[in-house]
Amino acid sequence: MTTSTSLPGPPGRSAEAVLTCSHLTRRFGDRVAVDDVSLQVYPGETYGLLGPNGAGKTTTIRMVCGLLRRDVGSVVVAGREVDGGSGDARALIGYVPQDIALYPDLTARENLRFFGRLYRLRGRELDARVDEVLDLIDLRERADDRVESFSGGMRRRLNIGAGLVHRPTLLVLDEPTVGVDPQSRHAILDAVRGFGEAGIAVLYTTHYMEVAERLCDRVGIIDRGRIVAEGTRRELVDLVRERDRVELSVSGDLASFAVACRALPGVEDASVADGQVDVLTRDARRLLPALLEAAESSGTVLKSVQVVEPDLEAVFLHLTGTALRE
Amino acid sequence: MRAAFLIAAKDLRQRFRDRSALVLGFVAPLVIATLMSFAFKGTDSFHTTLDIVDLDRGQLSAAFVGTLHSPQIADLVTVRQVGSVSAARTDVDKGTAGAAVVVPAGFTQAARGGPAVPVTVLASVDHTVDAQLADSLAQAFTAQLNADRLSVVTALAAGARQDRVTELGVAAGRLSLPEQVTQADSSARALTAIGYYGPAMGIFFMFFAIGFGARGFFTERREGTLDRISAAPVPPWAVLAGKSLATFVFGLASLTTMAVVTTVAFHAYWGPPAAAAVLIVAMSLVLVALTALVTSLARTDRQADGLASIVTFGLVLLGGNFVVLATAPQIMRTLALGTPNGWALRGFTDLSTGASAFQATAQPAAAILAFTAVTALVALLLARQAVRR
Repeated sequence: MTTSTSLPGPPGRSAEAVLTCSHLTRRFGDRVAVDDVSLQVYPGETYGLLGPNGAGKTTTIRMVCGLLRRDVGSVVVAGREVDGGSGDARALIGYVPQDIALYPDLTARENLRFFGRLYRLRGRELDARVDEVLDLIDLRERADDRVESFSGGMRRRLNIGAGLVHRPTLLVLDEPTVGVDPQSRHAILDAVRGFGEAGIAVLYTTHYMEVAERLCDRVGIIDRGRIVAEGTRRELVDLVRERDRVELSVSGDLASFAVACRALPGVEDASVADGQVDVLTRDARRLLPALLEAAESSGTVLKSVQVVEPDLEAVFLHLTGTALRE
Repeated sequence: MRAAFLIAAKDLRQRFRDRSALVLGFVAPLVIATLMSFAFKGTDSFHTTLDIVDLDRGQLSAAFVGTLHSPQIADLVTVRQVGSVSAARTDVDKGTAGAAVVVPAGFTQAARGGPAVPVTVLASVDHTVDAQLADSLAQAFTAQLNADRLSVVTALAAGARQDRVTELGVAAGRLSLPEQVTQADSSARALTAIGYYGPAMGIFFMFFAIGFGARGFFTERREGTLDRISAAPVPPWAVLAGKSLATFVFGLASLTTMAVVTTVAFHAYWGPPAAAAVLIVAMSLVLVALTALVTSLARTDRQADGLASIVTFGLVLLGGNFVVLATAPQIMRTLALGTPNGWALRGFTDLSTGASAFQATAQPAAAILAFTAVTALVALLLARQAVRR
């Protein structure tokens, strides 16, 4: 049994949301794939939709991009409805599907030009923008080679580039790092972070907890078609009352050091185990100077310190009762 | 509409980079039509060499040889006299003669009341038409001879004097058989093999574009590029329109190339260009409708391939692309009129044999367009949700 938990809007965001999804619902027969999903993404923000396979992430973004009919709800991008009409907001969206959606028998440049022209770019503007994107994805030198001759990483980069060529206001990426080697994954995540810094609103779906933590300003945790919680990593961790753990390896009187730790403000518990003192707190990094002082005043010698912060895996487990990777 | 043109241009660029599509669309029909043209070339301009063995050396055998040398059949037959039956048999076996006619000794005498002796035709199984021709020529001569004999006998029976037999015989010989069948073509031109198999093979290979078009749609869906196009601000119909346009242009280019190359290289006659263009455009339209039908019926690219093959071979077998319909049984000629290619071939055949452009194209074009409309309607009803679910 899961419950939906709403948090206040993202701190420091005064601008209008680029993407506003309201009460999105989609059924396939008797099965509810997406159930009353509402979310907002702001300019320059990277919003992660985190959930296991089959949670409803792809169905949600297919509705956002106008690829799937909504049973209920609305999608508004920069004040324009995604409805297929003449004022269609789809021109503002850059869509990067999970699979490599390119024409292997066309060159990189031809692929970018084709998708750019679909978004009504033409002439010099199109040429210039294609060159810009080729530089951005580091494929300028292979621009006139057919995609079928590219490595997997190059295809991934071009796949993202094809979603960027028309300068979208909202970039929607559906698990773009699935099946990608670590080096390419880093490159893709760095690039996505750069899009956020450039002011593009990014909606990013993933089932990789590490990716969501590393990349996203805010995360919506989705399970069985419902967003069960939403916020920054810190907010989500606080929400489920998970605590940081500081593991202090010391030599000397461990018991008296543990007592000294318990006396510090912000420490919720301190215990001795396996030749070290474990301290539970809500904010380990803020507590560290006080812990060092306590070690010195208690006459113990600090050999090492390790801070273990709760991750979204723990949050997901807490909220849904299942592990993210199940 | 701009998006449809973009999609069509992209599809055509891919199609023209696909060697298999180029081979099937342009090279194969030319090669097959050329081969079939050579295979059936004999029916356009038949000529054979006949050996004649004159063992009679009489007046009538000389007359028979004279008949074979007559200018009326000089284009058809070259006659070569040989000295013995064995030499003639060797020529026939080697194929240096299509057949041989042996006029036996006593042939002239037999006509004058002696014992009957048969004229023999030596034939080879490799040259059956040549043998039939030799047989027909011998039959025609002996029929005339018998008619002459009958005339003389009838005259004698009616009271003519016996000493006038030779005179009566000469007079009868000047007459030909009163009832003879002559063949006159109703059309201004003869139908040549390339004139038939050019369009027939062009249409056959054009139908392979059905598989390419349908498979391309499913490949785009599987690879995600169709989603990517649909995520752009393009109307849903633009995808179908673009793909249809690409199929139309490919079919048009394929059949037009066939017409131009067979006309220039093999002197095929497809009729007045404007009239031939009407049929080519009509067939390109039906190609689009058939592609849409296969796409709407199939669920995967493999299914599309299978269905396209069934449609292609079903239509070309029924439509008469592999046999000259004029020589086919009536049932087949009737069935052919249930297919667009059957109608097109009828139109092209009429055009190439000199029928008036309107007569040759109006009915076939109307039938093809009706077939197109019905097929397209069925396809649209089946595939309303094909692009966007």
